[in-house]
Amino acid sequence: MEYKVNKKVSILSILVIAILSTSFSAAVLAATDDSLTVYSTRKEHLIKPLFDAFTKKTGIEVKYLTGNGGALIERIKLEGKRTKADMFMTVDAGNLWYAASQNLFQPVESEVLINNIPVHLRDPEGLWTGLSVRARTIIYSTDRVNPEELSTYQDLASNKWKGRLCLRTSKKVYTKSLVASLIHHDGQKATTEVVKGWVDNLAATPNAEDTHVMSAILAGQCDVGIVNTYYFGRLQAEKPNVALKLFWANQGSTGTHVNISGAGVTKYSSNKEGSIKLLEFLSSIEAQKIYVKLNKEYPASQKLKADNLIAQWGDFNQDKMNLSVAGKNQAEAVALMQREGYR
Amino acid sequence: MSIRQNNSNILMGFLAFSVAFPIIVVFSAWLLPGTELWGHFSENLLPELVSSTLILLLGVGIGVSVLGTVLAYLVVMVEFPGRKWLEWALFLPFAIPAYVLAFVYLGVFDYSGYAQVWLRELTGISGFDIRSGHWAIILTFVLVFYPYVYMMARASFKRQKIQMIEAGKMLGASPFSVFWKISVPLARPAIAAGLLVTLMETLADFGVVSLFNYPTFTTAIYSAWGDFRSIEVAAQLASLLVLVAFLLIYFEKKARGKAKYYSSDVSNIKPYHANGLIGWLLFVFVFGVFMLSFAMPMLQIIIWSFEKFTQEWNPRYFDYLSSTGILTISATVLTVFVATLLALPSRRKSNSKVLQILIRFSTLGYALPGSVMAVGLLYGVQNISLISIYFGGSSINHILFGSVALLLFAYVSRFMAIAFNSTIASSEQIKPMFEQSARLLGASRFRLVKEVYLPMMTPGILAGALLVSVDVMKELPATYLLRPFGWDTLAIRVYELSAEGLYERAAIPALIMVFLGAVIMLLFNKLDRDNN
Repeated sequence: MEYKVNKKVSILSILVIAILSTSFSAAVLAATDDSLTVYSTRKEHLIKPLFDAFTKKTGIEVKYLTGNGGALIERIKLEGKRTKADMFMTVDAGNLWYAASQNLFQPVESEVLINNIPVHLRDPEGLWTGLSVRARTIIYSTDRVNPEELSTYQDLASNKWKGRLCLRTSKKVYTKSLVASLIHHDGQKATTEVVKGWVDNLAATPNAEDTHVMSAILAGQCDVGIVNTYYFGRLQAEKPNVALKLFWANQGSTGTHVNISGAGVTKYSSNKEGSIKLLEFLSSIEAQKIYVKLNKEYPASQKLKADNLIAQWGDFNQDKMNLSVAGKNQAEAVALMQREGYR
Repeated sequence: MSIRQNNSNILMGFLAFSVAFPIIVVFSAWLLPGTELWGHFSENLLPELVSSTLILLLGVGIGVSVLGTVLAYLVVMVEFPGRKWLEWALFLPFAIPAYVLAFVYLGVFDYSGYAQVWLRELTGISGFDIRSGHWAIILTFVLVFYPYVYMMARASFKRQKIQMIEAGKMLGASPFSVFWKISVPLARPAIAAGLLVTLMETLADFGVVSLFNYPTFTTAIYSAWGDFRSIEVAAQLASLLVLVAFLLIYFEKKARGKAKYYSSDVSNIKPYHANGLIGWLLFVFVFGVFMLSFAMPMLQIIIWSFEKFTQEWNPRYFDYLSSTGILTISATVLTVFVATLLALPSRRKSNSKVLQILIRFSTLGYALPGSVMAVGLLYGVQNISLISIYFGGSSINHILFGSVALLLFAYVSRFMAIAFNSTIASSEQIKPMFEQSARLLGASRFRLVKEVYLPMMTPGILAGALLVSVDVMKELPATYLLRPFGWDTLAIRVYELSAEGLYERAAIPALIMVFLGAVIMLLFNKLDRDNN
């Protein structure tokens, strides 16, 4: 009996040792070289080509772990001083602002970044930097909407759009930041009225994705919606004659709402120098071109013109609100939308 | 004897406690101060969420019980055209991740989907929004989860004594009353077990409900965390889900009562033969379910895969495949091993009440949304680190975070319910007589387990292994947060593409997953047949 118990125990311990040693070796490997590690909520297919280009140029290897924003932020917090992350990369200014408020980043002073990236796309203290820009604007059916009917986000709440509006879910961070910017410009009371009007005008349950909003408009379920420009860019690249068009919202007032994807160097990065190098590379014309090509986004760099497809949408005035405001107002925006039943 | 029994009770208690660890961490969030968020939620979100969650559970519960049981009865008890291949084909939908089925259905049946476009052109009716209301999402869940009930009810029907049914027939009972009065009551524990798993999974689902934008309890959990950055309130809300699951288990036990149905005979004689028109009608019904739940979505996935193959395929897929494979196999072996230990029959009777509750508690991870559980696990490790630092040691966070070990631990904790329910079901079918006679013959405990229990529990263990492996393969949120560098799985690839709205490209990793799932199913089917 004794013997048999021992056998069982030894099998168990071999198993445990095997598993632990795999992870130990992984941990040790991660710590030895001068490579960089990026935690990213931007998906693999959108970041790998950028890192490959960086490695080719500098010889510095970049490892990355993709994940969900909230979860990755918790992980970096809990890893504390021994975090493997040198850089945290995410989409939406609100997420960057929150990561900064949780003390995840350290300030970076870089002439290169200051020269490349306009000031409203950077954190005032240099904690994070925007690296690509997406405008969130109105999209409409060229069959059923005369662009002269269109003007502002706020106007989509008016009666003439009843049963003609499709929106993306309020759970998506892009919606949150847009409403946060409305709160910044118009105040809470006026924004409540706008959101109420939107909900009244909805032709369908808010969609999970911007792509669904566009297919709903194409199918005739609704006539107008609000989307990030690059979703339309992708669609247009596949179907150049699609019966949809972008309309630059709020040109006569605050400008079209823009959002960013961006990154910051983590507070406990073990390779600050390399991280700044990567950040600077990502803001360079070479990398900015990759951003534009990969995802039909606008470059964050002021030195690069948009590519052909994007350029044909025309120039527009951006909302110059510093994007950290979007982060600060986000919780208020969500509470407001939930009160008004915007799912 | 008694000392050894005690020792093993302590060991088992420790094992169950470890599995339950992340759940306990989630519950401990109640120790933290509440926030004003609760006020906002209970005023604006919870009333709607609670009622729509209940409607969803009710609809899905009734749907899977009826569909799963009827299908299982038909393939086991009635001979009809196509029965043989449909019997295993009906397992296949289980290989499709729920969120994949949901995006296919939306792509086909929503307002802009071609089924509706075609219908509108044909009949001129105005289109409708399938995401509003309850029925479409209920139907989606039913079609993806019915295999749970089907699988368990089928196994149970197979073990029903043919004589009882023959007796019923001779006494003049119609096929319907034989079904309703003899077969279903006998299969009740199995049906209830399948139902329980379905309801727990529905409660924890995030993928399908977010695609449909349907408000459930998980909506509030993610809103607390994602929108209001309050991980405490998220954990508090999540622990309520666990309580609901606990209640469900309680009701399942109550419903089952003291009834124990011992039988180990399997008969392959079909009491009923449906020929002619009725036979073909049955075929059309069963085949229809198969079409809707598997063939049609698969066809769509295959079409998308062909369209996007050159754009999406790259050598990284070999990495996805190997990490999926390694994680699936090791997690399955571990989970089933622990579940078997906890479900051994001799354990059951001698267990103290505390141990029994602890074991039950260890199976509740299934009702937690995966990412909440995963973060619970991270916080658990953090607490251990803090204790270790307090006693002069060092933090273990950086060793455990992103290790295969922690990820496997999460899988075991999350899928224990599946493996345990399945093994305990087969362990409960072992007649106490076997143990007594083995003891009388002087067999040691070890021999009793090895030569009596394990062989008799094999079908349950195998069924558990099958379910766990497919579930691990499909698992997303915990894997996404806890995986080591470079350990991206197929499920992660599906998610990353579909989260960007690139559903057509996501079809490729989804197709590979379904293919692997189908292979596991067939393997199981073969083992199952050999066993009989």
